[in-house]
Amino acid sequence: MRYTASSFWKFIGAAGALAALAAWPGAGQAQGISGQASAVTAVILGNVTSLADTGTLSSASAPLGTGLGTGSIPGLFAGEALHAATMGWSDQVASEASVGNLAISVAGTGISALQVMSRALAVSGAGGTGGSSIDRLTIGGVPVAATGAPNQQLSLPGLTVILNEQIQSASGIVVNALRIRTLDGLTDIAIGSAKAGI
Amino acid sequence: MRKTIYMLFAIPLLLMGALTAGTANAHFVPAPCDFITGGGWVLNDSAGFVNFGSHGGCKNGKFWGHVNVLDHSYNPPGHLKSTEITGYLMDPEFPNARDICGFGEVTVNGSTFTTRFRVRMEDNGEPGGSDRFGLRLGNGYLVTTRELGPPGPTGGGGNIQLHKENKSTKGPTPAPTEFEMCGGLMWP
Repeated sequence: MRYTASSFWKFIGAAGALAALAAWPGAGQAQGISGQASAVTAVILGNVTSLADTGTLSSASAPLGTGLGTGSIPGLFAGEALHAATMGWSDQVASEASVGNLAISVAGTGISALQVMSRALAVSGAGGTGGSSIDRLTIGGVPVAATGAPNQQLSLPGLTVILNEQIQSASGIVVNALRIRTLDGLTDIAIGSAKAGI
Repeated sequence: MRKTIYMLFAIPLLLMGALTAGTANAHFVPAPCDFITGGGWVLNDSAGFVNFGSHGGCKNGKFWGHVNVLDHSYNPPGHLKSTEITGYLMDPEFPNARDICGFGEVTVNGSTFTTRFRVRMEDNGEPGGSDRFGLRLGNGYLVTTRELGPPGPTGGGGNIQLHKENKSTKGPTPAPTEFEMCGGLMWP
Protein backbone atom coordinates (compact mmCIF):
# COMPACT_ATOMS: atom_id res chain seq x y z
CA MET A 1 0.00 0.00 0.00
CA ARG A 2 1.39 3.42 -0.94
CA TYR A 3 1.97 5.50 2.18
CA THR A 4 0.78 9.08 1.78
CA ALA A 5 0.68 12.18 3.99
CA SER A 6 -3.12 11.93 4.32
CA SER A 7 -2.76 8.33 5.49
CA PHE A 8 -0.29 9.51 8.12
CA TRP A 9 -2.66 12.10 9.59
CA LYS A 10 -5.54 9.64 9.53
CA PHE A 11 -3.37 7.25 11.51
CA ILE A 12 -2.46 9.93 14.04
CA GLY A 13 -6.11 10.91 14.46
CA ALA A 14 -7.20 7.30 14.88
CA ALA A 15 -4.44 6.59 17.39
CA GLY A 16 -5.55 9.49 19.52
CA ALA A 17 -9.20 8.51 19.34
CA LEU A 18 -8.46 4.87 20.14
CA ALA A 19 -6.89 5.99 23.38
CA ALA A 20 -10.34 7.16 24.48
CA LEU A 21 -11.49 3.56 24.71
CA ALA A 22 -8.88 2.78 27.35
CA ALA A 23 -8.37 6.20 28.88
CA TRP A 24 -9.43 7.47 32.24
CA PRO A 25 -12.07 10.13 32.51
CA GLY A 26 -11.05 13.29 34.34
CA ALA A 27 -11.15 12.92 38.10
CA GLY A 28 -13.91 14.64 40.06
CA GLN A 29 -12.60 17.87 41.35
CA ALA A 30 -13.43 17.58 45.02
CA GLN A 31 -13.38 13.89 45.89
CA GLY A 32 -10.88 12.46 43.33
CA ILE A 33 -13.51 10.08 42.00
CA SER A 34 -13.81 9.24 38.33
CA GLY A 35 -16.36 7.26 36.43
CA GLN A 36 -18.00 6.91 33.10
CA ALA A 37 -20.06 4.35 31.23
CA SER A 38 -21.18 3.98 27.65
CA ALA A 39 -23.24 1.33 25.93
CA VAL A 40 -21.27 1.69 22.69
CA THR A 41 -18.18 3.66 21.70
CA ALA A 42 -16.87 3.30 18.18
CA VAL A 43 -13.86 4.88 16.54
CA ILE A 44 -13.98 4.69 12.77
CA LEU A 45 -11.32 6.43 10.71
CA GLY A 46 -10.61 8.65 13.68
CA ASN A 47 -14.23 9.66 14.25
CA VAL A 48 -15.67 8.78 17.66
CA THR A 49 -19.35 7.89 18.03
CA SER A 50 -20.87 7.02 21.40
CA LEU A 51 -24.34 5.73 22.14
CA ALA A 52 -25.79 6.05 25.66
CA ASP A 53 -22.73 7.65 27.19
CA THR A 54 -23.06 9.06 30.71
CA GLY A 55 -20.29 11.59 30.39
CA THR A 56 -17.77 12.02 33.20
CA LEU A 57 -18.77 11.55 36.83
CA SER A 58 -17.61 14.55 38.83
CA SER A 59 -19.36 14.32 42.19
CA ALA A 60 -20.67 11.73 44.60
CA SER A 61 -23.89 13.70 44.87
CA ALA A 62 -24.53 13.67 41.12
CA PRO A 63 -24.86 10.16 39.67
CA LEU A 64 -25.12 9.99 35.91
CA GLY A 65 -27.21 7.67 33.80
CA THR A 66 -28.70 7.41 30.35
CA GLY A 67 -30.38 4.95 28.03
CA LEU A 68 -31.84 4.34 24.61
CA GLY A 69 -34.53 1.96 23.52
CA THR A 70 -32.69 1.28 20.28
CA GLY A 71 -29.41 2.52 18.92
CA SER A 72 -27.48 2.10 15.71
CA ILE A 73 -24.35 3.13 13.87
CA PRO A 74 -25.08 2.61 10.16
CA GLY A 75 -23.20 -0.26 8.68
CA LEU A 76 -21.63 -1.21 12.02
CA PHE A 77 -23.95 -1.69 14.99
CA ALA A 78 -27.54 -2.09 16.05
CA GLY A 79 -28.83 -2.88 19.52
CA GLU A 80 -31.62 -2.49 22.03
CA ALA A 81 -32.15 -1.42 25.61
CA LEU A 82 -28.90 0.50 25.78
CA HIS A 83 -28.15 1.46 29.36
CA ALA A 84 -25.28 3.18 31.15
CA ALA A 85 -24.87 4.51 34.69
CA THR A 86 -22.06 5.73 36.92
CA MET A 87 -22.32 6.54 40.61
CA GLY A 88 -19.89 7.71 43.26
CA TRP A 89 -19.61 7.61 47.03
CA SER A 90 -16.98 9.08 49.29
CA ASP A 91 -15.09 5.79 49.16
CA GLN A 92 -15.97 4.13 45.87
CA VAL A 93 -17.23 4.47 42.32
CA ALA A 94 -19.42 2.00 40.44
CA SER A 95 -20.21 2.06 36.72
CA GLU A 96 -22.29 -0.21 34.54
CA ALA A 97 -23.28 -0.48 30.90
CA SER A 98 -25.39 -2.95 28.97
CA VAL A 99 -26.84 -3.60 25.52
CA GLY A 100 -29.40 -6.13 24.41
CA ASN A 101 -30.02 -7.92 21.14
CA LEU A 102 -26.94 -6.52 19.46
CA ALA A 103 -25.73 -7.07 15.92
CA ILE A 104 -22.34 -5.89 14.66
CA SER A 105 -20.73 -6.07 11.24
CA VAL A 106 -16.99 -5.44 11.02
CA ALA A 107 -14.63 -6.39 8.21
CA GLY A 108 -17.27 -8.65 6.70
CA THR A 109 -17.78 -10.57 9.95
CA GLY A 110 -21.11 -10.61 11.72
CA ILE A 111 -21.12 -10.63 15.54
CA SER A 112 -24.26 -10.89 17.63
CA ALA A 113 -25.24 -11.38 21.25
CA LEU A 114 -28.46 -11.48 23.19
CA GLN A 115 -27.14 -9.44 26.12
CA VAL A 116 -23.84 -7.79 26.98
CA MET A 117 -23.04 -6.09 30.28
CA SER A 118 -19.96 -4.67 31.97
CA ARG A 119 -19.40 -3.47 35.53
CA ALA A 120 -16.50 -1.61 37.10
CA LEU A 121 -15.96 -0.87 40.77
CA ALA A 122 -13.16 1.16 42.35
CA VAL A 123 -12.86 1.18 46.13
CA SER A 124 -10.58 3.51 48.03
CA GLY A 125 -7.42 1.69 49.00
CA ALA A 126 -8.43 -1.47 47.17
CA GLY A 127 -8.05 -0.62 43.51
CA GLY A 128 -10.47 -1.64 40.82
CA THR A 129 -12.46 -4.75 40.08
CA GLY A 130 -14.89 -5.54 37.36
CA GLY A 131 -16.44 -8.08 35.11
CA SER A 132 -18.60 -8.71 32.10
CA SER A 133 -21.36 -11.01 31.06
CA ILE A 134 -21.99 -11.92 27.43
CA ASP A 135 -25.06 -13.98 26.64
CA ARG A 136 -25.35 -16.06 23.45
CA LEU A 137 -22.42 -14.60 21.55
CA THR A 138 -22.00 -15.70 17.95
CA ILE A 139 -19.22 -14.72 15.56
CA GLY A 140 -19.72 -15.49 11.91
CA GLY A 141 -22.79 -17.47 12.89
CA VAL A 142 -20.79 -19.75 15.21
CA PRO A 143 -21.56 -19.73 18.95
CA VAL A 144 -18.64 -18.61 21.08
CA ALA A 145 -18.41 -19.34 24.77
CA ALA A 146 -17.28 -16.49 26.98
CA THR A 147 -15.16 -18.02 29.75
CA GLY A 148 -15.60 -15.02 32.03
CA ALA A 149 -11.85 -14.64 32.40
CA PRO A 150 -10.42 -11.16 31.86
CA ASN A 151 -9.09 -10.38 28.39
CA GLN A 152 -10.23 -13.51 26.56
CA GLN A 153 -8.84 -12.84 23.08
CA LEU A 154 -10.03 -14.27 19.80
CA SER A 155 -8.11 -13.82 16.55
CA LEU A 156 -10.14 -13.78 13.38
CA PRO A 157 -9.39 -12.85 9.79
CA GLY A 158 -8.78 -9.12 9.84
CA LEU A 159 -10.08 -8.75 13.40
CA THR A 160 -9.18 -9.02 17.05
CA VAL A 161 -12.00 -9.62 19.48
CA ILE A 162 -11.50 -9.33 23.23
CA LEU A 163 -14.16 -10.52 25.66
CA ASN A 164 -14.24 -8.96 29.12
CA GLU A 165 -11.37 -6.61 28.39
CA GLN A 166 -10.03 -5.26 31.67
CA ILE A 167 -7.47 -2.47 31.89
CA GLN A 168 -6.20 -1.97 35.42
CA SER A 169 -4.38 0.97 36.91
CA ALA A 170 -3.32 1.88 40.43
CA SER A 171 -6.56 3.77 41.04
CA GLY A 172 -9.19 1.91 39.11
CA ILE A 173 -10.29 -0.08 36.13
CA VAL A 174 -11.78 0.09 32.65
CA VAL A 175 -13.96 -2.83 31.62
CA ASN A 176 -15.11 -3.30 28.04
CA ALA A 177 -17.46 -6.26 27.77
CA LEU A 178 -16.74 -6.71 24.05
CA ARG A 179 -13.92 -5.01 22.18
CA ILE A 180 -13.53 -5.46 18.44
CA ARG A 181 -10.66 -4.01 16.42
CA THR A 182 -9.67 -4.37 12.81
CA LEU A 183 -6.05 -5.24 12.28
CA ASP A 184 -5.49 -2.06 10.28
CA GLY A 185 -6.49 -0.08 13.37
CA LEU A 186 -9.08 1.99 11.59
CA THR A 187 -12.16 0.51 13.30
CA ASP A 188 -12.33 0.02 17.03
CA ILE A 189 -15.58 -0.59 18.87
CA ALA A 190 -16.27 -1.18 22.57
CA ILE A 191 -19.62 -2.59 23.60
CA GLY A 192 -20.53 -2.14 27.25
CA SER A 193 -17.78 0.10 28.58
CA ALA A 194 -17.58 0.87 32.31
CA LYS A 195 -14.87 2.90 34.00
CA ALA A 196 -14.32 3.53 37.70
CA GLY A 197 -11.46 5.18 39.57
CA ILE A 198 -10.80 6.68 42.97
CA MET B 1 -83.71 -0.43 67.40
CA ARG B 2 -82.47 0.33 63.90
CA LYS B 3 -79.78 2.54 65.37
CA THR B 4 -78.73 -0.23 67.73
CA ILE B 5 -78.47 -2.76 64.89
CA TYR B 6 -76.45 -0.32 62.85
CA MET B 7 -74.03 0.21 65.71
CA LEU B 8 -73.67 -3.53 66.22
CA PHE B 9 -72.32 -3.83 62.69
CA ALA B 10 -70.49 -0.51 62.40
CA ILE B 11 -68.35 -0.80 65.49
CA PRO B 12 -66.78 -4.16 64.57
CA LEU B 13 -66.16 -2.92 61.05
CA LEU B 14 -64.44 0.16 62.38
CA LEU B 15 -62.31 -1.96 64.67
CA MET B 16 -61.36 -4.26 61.78
CA GLY B 17 -60.38 -1.27 59.71
CA ALA B 18 -58.18 0.11 62.45
CA LEU B 19 -56.46 -3.24 62.95
CA THR B 20 -55.81 -4.07 59.30
CA ALA B 21 -54.62 -0.56 58.45
CA GLY B 22 -51.70 -1.12 60.80
CA THR B 23 -50.71 -4.30 59.00
CA ALA B 24 -50.79 -2.82 55.44
CA ASN B 25 -47.53 -2.90 53.51
CA ALA B 26 -45.40 0.21 53.97
CA HIS B 27 -43.62 1.46 50.88
CA PHE B 28 -41.13 4.18 51.42
CA VAL B 29 -38.14 5.94 49.92
CA PRO B 30 -34.86 4.49 51.14
CA ALA B 31 -33.12 6.91 53.45
CA PRO B 32 -30.30 7.65 52.80
CA CYS B 33 -31.14 6.92 49.18
CA ASP B 34 -29.46 4.05 47.39
CA PHE B 35 -29.33 3.05 43.68
CA ILE B 36 -30.48 0.11 41.63
CA THR B 37 -29.17 -0.63 38.13
CA GLY B 38 -29.54 -3.44 35.67
CA GLY B 39 -30.06 -4.77 32.21
CA GLY B 40 -31.35 -8.05 30.89
CA TRP B 41 -34.30 -9.90 29.52
CA VAL B 42 -37.25 -12.03 30.62
CA LEU B 43 -39.97 -14.02 28.91
CA ASN B 44 -43.50 -12.70 29.33
CA ASP B 45 -46.53 -14.90 29.86
CA SER B 46 -46.75 -15.51 26.10
CA ALA B 47 -43.08 -16.57 26.02
CA GLY B 48 -42.36 -13.27 24.29
CA PHE B 49 -38.91 -11.77 24.68
CA VAL B 50 -38.83 -8.60 26.81
CA ASN B 51 -35.53 -6.81 27.30
CA PHE B 52 -34.74 -3.87 29.52
CA GLY B 53 -32.09 -1.44 30.69
CA SER B 54 -32.91 0.57 33.81
CA HIS B 55 -31.52 2.43 36.77
CA GLY B 56 -32.98 4.50 39.57
CA GLY B 57 -32.28 6.35 42.79
CA CYS B 58 -32.21 9.89 44.10
CA LYS B 59 -30.36 13.00 43.08
CA ASN B 60 -30.49 16.64 44.20
CA GLY B 61 -33.71 16.31 46.18
CA LYS B 62 -35.52 14.49 43.39
CA PHE B 63 -35.87 11.00 41.99
CA TRP B 64 -33.49 9.95 39.27
CA GLY B 65 -33.38 7.20 36.74
CA HIS B 66 -33.98 5.89 33.30
CA VAL B 67 -36.11 3.01 32.03
CA ASN B 68 -36.23 1.39 28.60
CA VAL B 69 -38.21 -1.79 27.98
CA LEU B 70 -38.92 -3.52 24.67
CA ASP B 71 -41.50 -6.26 24.20
CA HIS B 72 -40.87 -8.41 21.15
CA SER B 73 -44.37 -9.86 21.24
CA TYR B 74 -45.15 -6.96 18.95
CA ASN B 75 -43.69 -6.24 15.52
CA PRO B 76 -41.99 -3.82 15.64
CA PRO B 77 -41.33 -4.30 19.37
CA GLY B 78 -43.44 -2.31 21.76
CA HIS B 79 -41.23 0.21 23.57
CA LEU B 80 -41.48 2.02 26.90
CA LYS B 81 -39.15 4.96 27.35
CA SER B 82 -39.24 6.85 30.65
CA THR B 83 -39.77 10.59 30.44
CA GLU B 84 -40.07 11.42 34.15
CA ILE B 85 -39.20 9.54 37.33
CA THR B 86 -41.75 10.24 40.06
CA GLY B 87 -40.82 7.64 42.63
CA TYR B 88 -38.16 5.33 43.97
CA LEU B 89 -39.35 3.12 46.77
CA MET B 90 -38.86 -0.04 48.67
CA ASP B 91 -41.23 -2.63 50.09
CA PRO B 92 -39.98 -4.18 53.35
CA GLU B 93 -41.48 -7.51 52.28
CA PHE B 94 -38.94 -7.52 49.44
CA PRO B 95 -35.87 -5.78 50.90
CA ASN B 96 -33.69 -6.48 47.86
CA ALA B 97 -36.18 -4.93 45.45
CA ARG B 98 -36.72 -1.35 44.44
CA ASP B 99 -39.60 0.07 42.46
CA ILE B 100 -39.09 2.88 40.01
CA CYS B 101 -42.23 4.83 39.18
CA GLY B 102 -42.77 7.47 36.60
CA PHE B 103 -44.25 8.52 33.34
CA GLY B 104 -43.14 7.07 30.05
CA GLU B 105 -43.78 7.20 26.36
CA VAL B 106 -45.05 3.96 24.93
CA THR B 107 -44.83 3.18 21.22
CA VAL B 108 -46.71 0.10 20.10
CA ASN B 109 -48.75 -0.97 17.08
CA GLY B 110 -48.05 2.32 15.33
CA SER B 111 -49.31 4.48 18.18
CA THR B 112 -47.49 6.54 20.78
CA PHE B 113 -48.95 7.60 24.09
CA THR B 114 -47.87 8.62 27.59
CA THR B 115 -48.71 6.54 30.61
CA ARG B 116 -47.59 5.79 34.14
CA PHE B 117 -45.28 2.89 34.78
CA ARG B 118 -43.98 0.96 37.76
CA VAL B 119 -40.89 -1.16 37.34
CA ARG B 120 -39.65 -3.58 39.99
CA MET B 121 -36.02 -4.62 40.00
CA GLU B 122 -34.74 -7.09 42.56
CA ASP B 123 -31.14 -8.07 43.28
CA ASN B 124 -30.86 -11.58 44.68
CA GLY B 125 -27.13 -12.00 44.38
CA GLU B 126 -24.73 -13.18 41.73
CA PRO B 127 -24.52 -14.28 38.98
CA GLY B 128 -27.97 -12.77 38.40
CA GLY B 129 -30.23 -15.66 37.47
CA SER B 130 -32.29 -15.16 40.60
CA ASP B 131 -32.62 -11.42 40.09
CA ARG B 132 -36.12 -10.38 39.17
CA PHE B 133 -37.77 -7.82 36.90
CA GLY B 134 -41.35 -6.75 36.36
CA LEU B 135 -43.31 -3.94 34.76
CA ARG B 136 -46.81 -2.55 35.08
CA LEU B 137 -48.20 0.21 32.90
CA GLY B 138 -51.12 2.48 33.52
CA ASN B 139 -52.95 1.04 30.50
CA GLY B 140 -53.05 -2.42 32.06
CA TYR B 141 -49.99 -3.95 30.42
CA LEU B 142 -48.27 -6.25 32.87
CA VAL B 143 -45.16 -8.40 33.07
CA THR B 144 -45.32 -9.85 36.54
CA THR B 145 -42.05 -9.77 38.44
CA ARG B 146 -40.04 -12.82 37.43
CA GLU B 147 -36.52 -14.20 37.50
CA LEU B 148 -33.98 -13.28 34.89
CA GLY B 149 -32.85 -16.92 35.14
CA PRO B 150 -31.49 -19.52 34.76
CA PRO B 151 -31.46 -20.90 37.39
CA GLY B 152 -34.75 -19.07 37.70
CA PRO B 153 -37.61 -21.11 36.26
CA THR B 154 -38.96 -18.57 33.82
CA GLY B 155 -35.89 -18.11 31.66
CA GLY B 156 -34.05 -14.95 30.80
CA GLY B 157 -30.70 -13.32 31.34
CA GLY B 158 -28.86 -10.27 32.57
CA ASN B 159 -28.12 -8.87 35.99
CA ILE B 160 -29.46 -6.37 38.50
CA GLN B 161 -27.38 -4.67 41.16
CA LEU B 162 -28.64 -2.92 44.30
CA HIS B 163 -25.96 -0.44 45.32
CA LYS B 164 -25.38 0.78 48.83
CA GLU B 165 -26.97 3.92 50.18
CA ASN B 166 -25.29 7.21 49.52
CA LYS B 167 -25.42 10.00 52.07
CA SER B 168 -24.63 12.47 49.31
CA THR B 169 -27.81 11.77 47.33
CA LYS B 170 -31.14 12.86 48.64
CA GLY B 171 -34.68 12.44 47.48
CA PRO B 172 -37.59 14.82 48.04
CA THR B 173 -38.30 16.07 51.56
CA PRO B 174 -40.74 15.17 52.93
CA ALA B 175 -40.80 11.81 51.18
CA PRO B 176 -43.93 11.50 49.05
CA THR B 177 -46.48 8.77 49.63
CA GLU B 178 -46.63 5.67 47.51
CA PHE B 179 -49.73 7.04 45.81
CA GLU B 180 -47.99 10.31 45.06
CA MET B 181 -45.03 8.45 43.62
CA CYS B 182 -46.83 5.79 41.63
CA GLY B 183 -50.30 7.17 41.04
CA GLY B 184 -52.03 4.12 42.48
CA LEU B 185 -50.20 1.60 40.29
CA MET B 186 -49.53 -1.59 42.21
CA TRP B 187 -46.16 -3.24 42.02
CA PRO B 188 -45.93 -5.65 39.10
